[in-house]
Amino acid sequence: MTDGPLIVQSDKTLLLEVDHDQAEACRRAIAPFAELERAPEHVHTYRLTPLGLWNARAAGHDAEQVVDTLLEYSRYPVPHALLVDVAETMSRYGRLQLVAHPVHGLVLHALDAAVLAEVLRSKRTAGLVGERIDDTDVVVHASERGTLKQALLKLGWPAEDLAGYVDGEAHPIDLDTSGESDLGTDGAPRPWQLRPYQAEAADGFWHGGSGVVVLPCGAGKTLVGAAAMARSKTTTLILVTNTVSARQWRDELIRRTSLTPDEIGEYSGSRKEIRPVTIATYQVLTLKRKGVYPHLELLDARDWGLIVYDEVHLLPAPIFRMTADLQARRRLGLTATLVREDGREDEVFSLIGPKRYDAPWKDIEAQGYIAPADCVEVRLTLPERDRMLYATAEPEDKYRLAASAPGKTEVVKRLVAQHRGEPLLVIGQYIDQLEELAADIDAPVITGSTSVTERQRLFDAFRAGEISTLVVSKVANFSIDLPEASVAIQVSGSFGSRQEEAQRLGRLLRPKGDGRTAHFYAVVARDTVDQDFAAHRQRFLAEQGYAYRIVDAEDLEQATEEPA
Amino acid sequence: MATFSEHLRGRSDEELVRLLLRRPDLAHPSPATLASLAARATSRPSLDRALAGVDAAVLQAVEAVVALLAGSTDPAGGVRARDVVAAVGASRADAPAVRAALATATDLALLHPVGGRASDPVLRPAPGVAELLGPATAGLAAPAPHDPDPAAVPGLLAAAPAAGRAVLDALTWGPPVGVRPAAGAAAEAVTELLRAGLLARADERHVVLPRTVALALRDGRTHRAPASPPAPEDLPRRDAALVEAEHAAAAERVVRLVAGLIRLWGRTPPPVLRAGGLGVRDLRRTAVALEVTEAEAAFVVELAGVGALVRDDGEESPHHVPTTVADEWLALDLPGRWARLATWWAATPRTPSLVGTRDERGSVRPALGPDLGRPWSPRLRQAVLGLLAEAGPGAAPDAPAVREGLAWRTPRSVPPLDAVAAVLREAGWLGVLGAGALATAGRALLGDADPRPALAEGLAAALPPAVDDLLLQADLTGIVPGRPSQDLEALVDRAARVESRGGAVTVRFTPESVRDALDAGSTADDLLAELASHARGGVPQPLEYLVRDAARRHGRLRAGAASSYVRTEDPALLAGLAEDPRHADLGLVRLAPTVLAAQAPLHELLAALRAHGLAPVAETPDGQVLHAAPTLRRVAAARPRFAADDAGRGAVPPAERAAALVGVLRRAEEARAAGGSTGGAGAVVRAAAAEAAAPRADGAPTLRDRASGVAAATAAARAAGPRTGPRPSRGTADPAEALGMLREAAAGHTEVWLDVVGSRGALERRRVLPVRVDGGRVRVVDTARDAEIVVAAHRVAAVTPVDAAGTQPPDDDAAAADPRETDTA
Repeated sequence: MTDGPLIVQSDKTLLLEVDHDQAEACRRAIAPFAELERAPEHVHTYRLTPLGLWNARAAGHDAEQVVDTLLEYSRYPVPHALLVDVAETMSRYGRLQLVAHPVHGLVLHALDAAVLAEVLRSKRTAGLVGERIDDTDVVVHASERGTLKQALLKLGWPAEDLAGYVDGEAHPIDLDTSGESDLGTDGAPRPWQLRPYQAEAADGFWHGGSGVVVLPCGAGKTLVGAAAMARSKTTTLILVTNTVSARQWRDELIRRTSLTPDEIGEYSGSRKEIRPVTIATYQVLTLKRKGVYPHLELLDARDWGLIVYDEVHLLPAPIFRMTADLQARRRLGLTATLVREDGREDEVFSLIGPKRYDAPWKDIEAQGYIAPADCVEVRLTLPERDRMLYATAEPEDKYRLAASAPGKTEVVKRLVAQHRGEPLLVIGQYIDQLEELAADIDAPVITGSTSVTERQRLFDAFRAGEISTLVVSKVANFSIDLPEASVAIQVSGSFGSRQEEAQRLGRLLRPKGDGRTAHFYAVVARDTVDQDFAAHRQRFLAEQGYAYRIVDAEDLEQATEEPA
Repeated sequence: MATFSEHLRGRSDEELVRLLLRRPDLAHPSPATLASLAARATSRPSLDRALAGVDAAVLQAVEAVVALLAGSTDPAGGVRARDVVAAVGASRADAPAVRAALATATDLALLHPVGGRASDPVLRPAPGVAELLGPATAGLAAPAPHDPDPAAVPGLLAAAPAAGRAVLDALTWGPPVGVRPAAGAAAEAVTELLRAGLLARADERHVVLPRTVALALRDGRTHRAPASPPAPEDLPRRDAALVEAEHAAAAERVVRLVAGLIRLWGRTPPPVLRAGGLGVRDLRRTAVALEVTEAEAAFVVELAGVGALVRDDGEESPHHVPTTVADEWLALDLPGRWARLATWWAATPRTPSLVGTRDERGSVRPALGPDLGRPWSPRLRQAVLGLLAEAGPGAAPDAPAVREGLAWRTPRSVPPLDAVAAVLREAGWLGVLGAGALATAGRALLGDADPRPALAEGLAAALPPAVDDLLLQADLTGIVPGRPSQDLEALVDRAARVESRGGAVTVRFTPESVRDALDAGSTADDLLAELASHARGGVPQPLEYLVRDAARRHGRLRAGAASSYVRTEDPALLAGLAEDPRHADLGLVRLAPTVLAAQAPLHELLAALRAHGLAPVAETPDGQVLHAAPTLRRVAAARPRFAADDAGRGAVPPAERAAALVGVLRRAEEARAAGGSTGGAGAVVRAAAAEAAAPRADGAPTLRDRASGVAAATAAARAAGPRTGPRPSRGTADPAEALGMLREAAAGHTEVWLDVVGSRGALERRRVLPVRVDGGRVRVVDTARDAEIVVAAHRVAAVTPVDAAGTQPPDDDAAAADPRETDTA
């Protein structure tokens, strides 16, 4: 028995004691192959999954390294079956390769003829492959490259894609670090540099060919995208979640790269421009009319050299199907988390690519690139009348009743009063509740029905400090840059979505000018489903190391004074 | 040339003791004389057992002797040891091993020397061995009259067509019989070979490779190569620390699972199927509750059943319920509990791997069902564990490797691969193995002594030191970074849900788990204090909040038990009723101004109220639910069947027992040699037979009469044997001895006098040459009439060897006993 920091459990979780001397070295050693599942204060939990192990293989690690690492840092003897399983799993990756054959075009090549025979016998690969060349090679229809990779992953024999990429149409793009494109308020250029981890992420992606970069909200994923584009120097298609996000990408690209506004097109519900760099929304691509997707042609409109997927964890299912056809182009996925509420992590792996870079949230916070946050759950006891109403309500109405409990208004008012002067967001799910709140605290409200120009105007005013409080619905969840929001109050969330909570916290985590701590409040009605959903959402953040304090609404005054 | 029984008589006491020890079935029950020992040693079941126990080298040596003798010109002779060495193809280096194998076979009385020097004896197989090995011993066909002359075979082979060569090659090392191809080149080649005499026609569709041809092709050998044991150094080895750690982890796990099963079934006992056993659905439910696979759940359930920790409660609709033995078991410490589980497993004939398979009628065999006992199960477990122990520390062979090892050790009874795999799997689950290798503690199961103390000690030594620390975190999880101490284990069991186990235990606190702790009697403050006493970093605020919040909600609803109730619209009617001392025995409690609950049954309550001058009426039970605390059910247990493990194994060591027996046999032998000859058997039988046949005079005999006549006659003949004092030294009426003598005579081609109870119940004496004794029948050639007859073994009354003069043995009628005497016997 050594005195290592790692405990290997038989269910393939790894427990890392963070206070241990070797914890840091161990963390670095296991990070390439183990997925961080949760990172609370004392013991971080990692998990060994086939995807994680294959990601490690894709990054050039072999089973021996993994086994040695486990043995080196483990405190107790490592279960033998687990080591065998690791070696077995890792050996499955890359036995099949997709290669470009000079004569036959795209070919599935097997290093092990038996594996090829096995996968070809499966129903899943039927129709995806063409004629058999010999024992170890079979022709693949170029159009089925993605579908085949998906099928092979499902069969447990993930293929290594070595077939390369089309070059795409060249287009000069450079990072503009001189700041010429980003003049400050005084008219002087503001020079800047890529942060080290951003550069590493872009490098990691470029060497891997295609794949996903995982960075926390507020860590500057857009810049990783821009850096990748500058490496590629080709026409680029960027897929984002919504129009507001599209505009922000556009502004950021103009500010940070040599691209001019004329070179960037927006392809959304309102505009349909196709330029060397085109930013399209998921929504417009997945729009279906009379059974067909009319905007799919966009994907073939130009000879794209790079496709960037923003917020991969939200990628809608139809986009996966479309992406399956785009395997010949380089693909970059950007996300804050590989956790998908729908559990389709494997499709991200097979269609966009393995994880190429990952930096834990807390690490980046420690480096000062994202703001520290204080999370508080405020529990509100419902008055007698509301409890009776809640108890007798139909199950489908219960969440709405609890989430929009009238008592919350009072709590929000008190919190707003406490943080007067600080940029503050009130976030909620139900429009009437938000409108009521907005009227009560006298703040403008942004919902899905607010026009894009109006939203932009309000955001600009908020950024400029003209408005200190904004009430927003879930439109604010993604990719809206509100740099100086330092307090967020969540009054209702969309049931138990973990990534939504992460996004909302992300709103706060952009570094503050004065290094202030951000505050995140969730107002929850006690003894209701609201509380249960909140617990589920918070679990994700607690696991990321953002511990919640829980206070009763009645004790609010003293509790919020505490962290000061 | 010595016969088998002479050889046995000629053995030294030590050699006889060795024989009795190595073939224990010969000594149970104790044979009366050396002749009956010889008879028993040549009986088919005993030989079968002895051959089943020998390793591949000994079996090969016996086969070689039988095969060589079958082709010898003097079938009554023997085979020289050095010919055997050559026949199995042993090199100079292998020769000692082959000689050792021959010596072992001789020790076991499978072979016996008939001459030669001690260094190079001439050996014969014991009577019955050849029949047991079957017709094509060592893959050689029996000699046939038309076999080509050995001298001519090389010439014939040289002339054989090339295509035929492949056919010959396929049959060379046996089995010698092949299916004749219907058409094609192969068919032609076979025809060609048949014409050349290199093959013989066995029947319409089969051909056989004649013995002489096979021997020529084999260079005169009987075996391709001498048998040798599989090399243990090829086996994968595991680190000792790993083996012990995994053994301890598995042992802890299985004990936890069995305890979990007892807890689960104590609350909700599953019903017993009509044919006995546990239903498939209940097994699945149990597996889900224990979080294991169904196969492992079946193992755990069977283990609990074997130890009588659970059993059928015998109620009208029976359920599987934990027994009082379970409580005793639960009271032991972890090593003690495990030692019992391991002992039960090693000794039980029940075979959990059969659960879920189908029997001949196609119905699924249920866990705890009546159809799971297999007598070979404990033997196989011993064999597998023994093999692992011999392979050396840390050796972790897989099932095929274990089977290969068993095939070397007991080639006549190689267990099927899945049975071996099942034993390995179960041993792994049980923690007798760790990482596939035998743990130190597991070795205890191999000895003769009570293994439990050694098992418990071994496990206690392998368990990692207990940890008393609990790391509590803000995400409501807790981690015990090691094996939790008993205290801590109890705490997390009570107040949290375990998420994962292994080197450490991770738990999660949920509102439900905290509520369970509160239900068990803790208060919020107790629980927090207890957590804080184990928590290195203090109790995080969210956890404290969770506990306090759970405590706040706990007990806001109250439930209780009542047998009946009184309710009214008018509180005045109830006033004073509950407090009235006259109703104290009704147990009235005021729940609300208009409701009283009573402990008394409804009829008593009504009577009492009426006596009070009130006019109550009974209500129908409108969905009134009574909440009762869960009761843990127990029934009295029958002790586990193999209570022998409590009594110790066998009071007298087997070696002493065997030595004592040899002394008895020698004395019997001496007495027999000294005694006179007054064979009264024949007379007794005749009288008994006459009496039995008597009813015939009164009417037609029934089949039953005749059958009983034979039985009575034979029994009388046999009973007369020992009772009428010393008998002729060479004849015998003891049935086993008689069969032994016949077998010996068949092997030695000597004639005997055979007394047979004839079809009319009368005794007939014939001079015969026994040919074969098999399956309850004796095939003999009646030399006087030159006819072959078959006699059922139960009709044989006595056998007497024909002495050199060939005269009839004396038949002393004067000694004939009064028939009535037999009745009193």
